[in-house]
Amino acid sequence: MRTLRRILHVTANDLRIMVGDKVFFFWTLAFPVLFIVLFGLVFKAGASAPDVAEVVVVNQDQGRWGAYFIDKIKTPGVAVTVTDKEPEAYNRLLVLPPDFSARIEARRDQALAFKKRENASARAAARVETRLYQAIARTLSELILYGDGDLTKFLDGHPEFRDIVLVESRFPPKTVSVVPSGFDHTIPGTTIQFIMMMVMIYGGISVMEDRKKGILGRLLFSPLSPGGLFRAKLLGRWLMGLLQALMLFAIGKIFFRLNLGNVPLALLVIAVFALAMSALSVFIGSLCTKEDLIIGLSVLLANLFAALGGCWWPNEIVPPAVRTVARISPAYWAMDALHKLTFFRGGFADIAPALAVLGTLAIVLTAVAGKAFRIRD
Amino acid sequence: MLEIKNLTKSYGDVVALDRFSLDLKKGEVLGLLGPNGAGKTTLISILAGTVRDFTGTVTFEGRSLFADRSMKNRLGVVPQDMAFYDDLNAMDNLLFWGGLYDVPRADLKRRAAELLEVVELSDRAKEPVKNFSGGMKRRLNTAIGLLHKPDLLLLDEPTVGIDVQAKVSILDIIRSVGAAGTAVIFTTHQLAEVEGTCSRIAIMDHGRILAQGTLDALIRIVGEKDIVEFTGEFAAAAFSEALQDLAGDGLELLSVADGLASLAVADTGRIPKVMDRLFQRKLAVTDMKIKTPSLETVFLKLTGRSLRD
Ligand SMILES: Nc1ncnc2c1ncn2[C@@H]1O[C@H](COP(=O)(O)OP(=O)(O)O)[C@@H](O)[C@H]1O
Ligand SMILES: [Mg+2]
Repeated sequence: MRTLRRILHVTANDLRIMVGDKVFFFWTLAFPVLFIVLFGLVFKAGASAPDVAEVVVVNQDQGRWGAYFIDKIKTPGVAVTVTDKEPEAYNRLLVLPPDFSARIEARRDQALAFKKRENASARAAARVETRLYQAIARTLSELILYGDGDLTKFLDGHPEFRDIVLVESRFPPKTVSVVPSGFDHTIPGTTIQFIMMMVMIYGGISVMEDRKKGILGRLLFSPLSPGGLFRAKLLGRWLMGLLQALMLFAIGKIFFRLNLGNVPLALLVIAVFALAMSALSVFIGSLCTKEDLIIGLSVLLANLFAALGGCWWPNEIVPPAVRTVARISPAYWAMDALHKLTFFRGGFADIAPALAVLGTLAIVLTAVAGKAFRIRD
Repeated sequence: MLEIKNLTKSYGDVVALDRFSLDLKKGEVLGLLGPNGAGKTTLISILAGTVRDFTGTVTFEGRSLFADRSMKNRLGVVPQDMAFYDDLNAMDNLLFWGGLYDVPRADLKRRAAELLEVVELSDRAKEPVKNFSGGMKRRLNTAIGLLHKPDLLLLDEPTVGIDVQAKVSILDIIRSVGAAGTAVIFTTHQLAEVEGTCSRIAIMDHGRILAQGTLDALIRIVGEKDIVEFTGEFAAAAFSEALQDLAGDGLELLSVADGLASLAVADTGRIPKVMDRLFQRKLAVTDMKIKTPSLETVFLKLTGRSLRD
């Protein structure tokens, strides 16, 4: 109990000194927010959808319902081209199979294939997709009524029909590919980058300076143990990283409508990542005896990891070979997990591998930092 | 209260402490006097628990000083470095450092205010320490070691590099802490400090104590002899050789360097004979001083070097 109290006492003091530092404000908030705005705007502009989304419909239907259905798809924002054979090149493609009408008339369910070329705009695909749902709903409602009329009014009068229309859609991983963009990408990216930067630079330098000034030695004149001191330093730097992430996410939420997908899981990713970085900072601070060296090393590592790890541009757009190399960057795993949560509706199972990598890294770096930690030069 | 037996510590080939032994009673203030490299900081660091891998034993009230961490609550240490947070003010520094010990918060606050009064920093208590002068920092450095009312206080060169006024104030504090019953060891390489402050003085060099006792007892070690110091333009070898056959028989060569030599003589009546001899050998002596014994001469005799180097 007393040991814990002493550890927290040292950690709280570290945090207080850090927050009282002007440099801290610059690195933790001002600079990252500037980054977020610049990068966020760049990626937002690049990701805008075309005004009209075209879709090629391959109509192989033998009956009359194919043409009827195609008519329902047409709308000013969606340009429909009808063919009877699948073309070589397309952006979006819908196939109406030969038994389309036959199945409708037999009241049997059926699957329609809607495909998107891998690099075509995801937003345009989403627009066509929405229009397809509308067309399906309208066709079905007219089928139910067997003529024209208003489905909603009909359902109001006939509650027993409410559950008979079931449209289920599936998205095989290859057909829908969302490219992470906008602030939902740049805010986590910038946060990851600046956690590395700030924790390594600030955390490393303060470990080194406290050692040089004899503060670490003096701390051990008290009943605090060397292990306790190490844990206090680690905890302090971990909380620095978490605090920074919380502030940037809060700013993101308030000013940039940040969507993290799953906030508790996103914070878990940040927490494990920040732990690895805090161990790295204690390691660097224990190893180096010069401030310049720590700054140089931290800036180099943080930027290399950030660029490689997908903090600047999404990993989803880089060539597969680069993506493979990127796995050496801790930031890669953090960004991978965060993107899964935000853009791919991922859950715990989807981010578990990345968490395992980050967790292992945190454990290894903590062990290494513990070995290197020393109280005098 | 404190018993140090055969403490030995080496750094590679360098023996920093060599079978160092010492006893200390409650309320005793021991001045540990030694030149740079004598092993003072090594001793303090071992007692403070930050240097390990030594041999020998240290017992405090019958138990090993290193038996468990709670013993550290009884130990106050003032390091040679000004080890505190420059960005915090004096009061916050005291509260932080004191907070590491098992002292109730309310007591700590009262004690910190008291100590700021003692070290005359009360009116600057809320100012960042980085604005402080060297003397003010030294006083704060000392106060930090006293917060938890230790029974044993160790100070490593607490007066280095500060003005006379601040020095006097720190020595006053050391005296009054001793008077209140705390056992104190403080190291220094300045003679004037131990002369008025300590109840006992130990002279150490090369990791061991060469002599210890009260000031008077130490001075008796050099006997009733006077010290004669010669300066001039002469070579050390020529000087020694010139006086070779006069040595023994109430005359002793204490140290000889090029241009600076000192002798101990039982009787000042022998000095003209020495001057004669130097003159015969054409050794250019430009100045001669006769000194009555002091701690400095004791030190010179014991270590063969002046404390100033
Ligand atoms: N960490 C160390 N590594 C190697 N040698 C050391 C170390 N600390 C002290 N020494 C050596 O031990 C001897 C005693 O040093 P120290 O205790 O600092 O003396 P003092 O405090 O009396 O000046 C010196 O020769 C010094 O060079
Ligand atoms: Mg020293």
